[in-house]
Amino acid sequence: MPIDQGQDDVIARYLGSELSSVNAQLPKKRKTLSQLLREEHPRVSCLDGSEHFFRIDELRHLASILDDHEREELMLPMIIEVHSGRSDMLVRSRRGDEEQGVEAKVFAEVLDMPVSVEKTGVRIYRSQLGAMRRALKTTTQYVFTL
Amino acid sequence: MAARIRVARPTKIELARLKRRLKLATRIQKIIKDRLSILVMEFLQTVRESADVKERLQKEYDDAYKALSLSLGYHGYAPVEQTLMISEMPFSLHAATRNVAGVRLPTFQMEENREAAHAVSPAENSSLLEYTSDMARKCLSTTVELAELQSALELLGDEINKVKRINNALEYVVIPGLDITIKYLSMKFEERDREEVARLKYVKLLIEKREAYAY
Repeated sequence: MPIDQGQDDVIARYLGSELSSVNAQLPKKRKTLSQLLREEHPRVSCLDGSEHFFRIDELRHLASILDDHEREELMLPMIIEVHSGRSDMLVRSRRGDEEQGVEAKVFAEVLDMPVSVEKTGVRIYRSQLGAMRRALKTTTQYVFTL
Repeated sequence: MAARIRVARPTKIELARLKRRLKLATRIQKIIKDRLSILVMEFLQTVRESADVKERLQKEYDDAYKALSLSLGYHGYAPVEQTLMISEMPFSLHAATRNVAGVRLPTFQMEENREAAHAVSPAENSSLLEYTSDMARKCLSTTVELAELQSALELLGDEINKVKRINNALEYVVIPGLDITIKYLSMKFEERDREEVARLKYVKLLIEKREAYAY
């Protein structure tokens, strides 16, 4: 049974003032992994009117990492928050501290190393970013914040 | 390039407006620098991937041609051509876009329809022909992969140039221009204040003198 995700405040957070034009490539609404797996051509519409497609093999790879419950919980694309002047990035989770295992589990599996989980999300370092983007090209997206 | 002072009206409201604009320009430049670094990282990664895929494609083509010449040598030209004419592998190529830091990159997904295929089967033909057909199929999917990476490279390169130009314009023209205008206006207002103080002192002196003469 799908879990009620509530309003997607993760995206709403990045659309204030001048940041909205820089982050116009963000999806209007994110979808869960299980939702995307059911679609023939999995995609989401973006705020700038374009469409962002997901690679099926990437989705299948994620599905192989997660169990059924976690597939309902993982929202895609995962959003990598790039802070100006900082070398680390954050992947925010909509769940609380104790429940944000899905993103952390995915990244730990993809990077083949434990990742640092914080109260606000999963912290990713620039050295890890390359490996992560190579494996998750379409299931991750950047967002720029100050 | 030397920054130019551009001010329509030398007023305090204008100064406050310029200060706000400078703050905004600095914030935007920070974001643009981040975007540039991400785009460069993605570009370099695509270059590396593209080089790997090119190498793989070269090897696959080598193998495919070797297999084809072996087949031709073993079966002869006419039987191989006949087999290739009747065998087919229908596939669909789904072209779409993915978004990387605001750049729309193409993504191609090749789907083979194995059920509708009249592929070379080892029951009817030799395993050599089947191997040749497999190698050709591999070459095709790798070519599609390379096409995706090459177009991504071009688009990312164009975007990097564009973002670099914006960054340079902000760094070397807009921000220094605003800075120097703010400095000019601040100095002008300070000068005006100093003149005002001197004028008031002079007026005070005049009043004092007048009062002294009155007695």
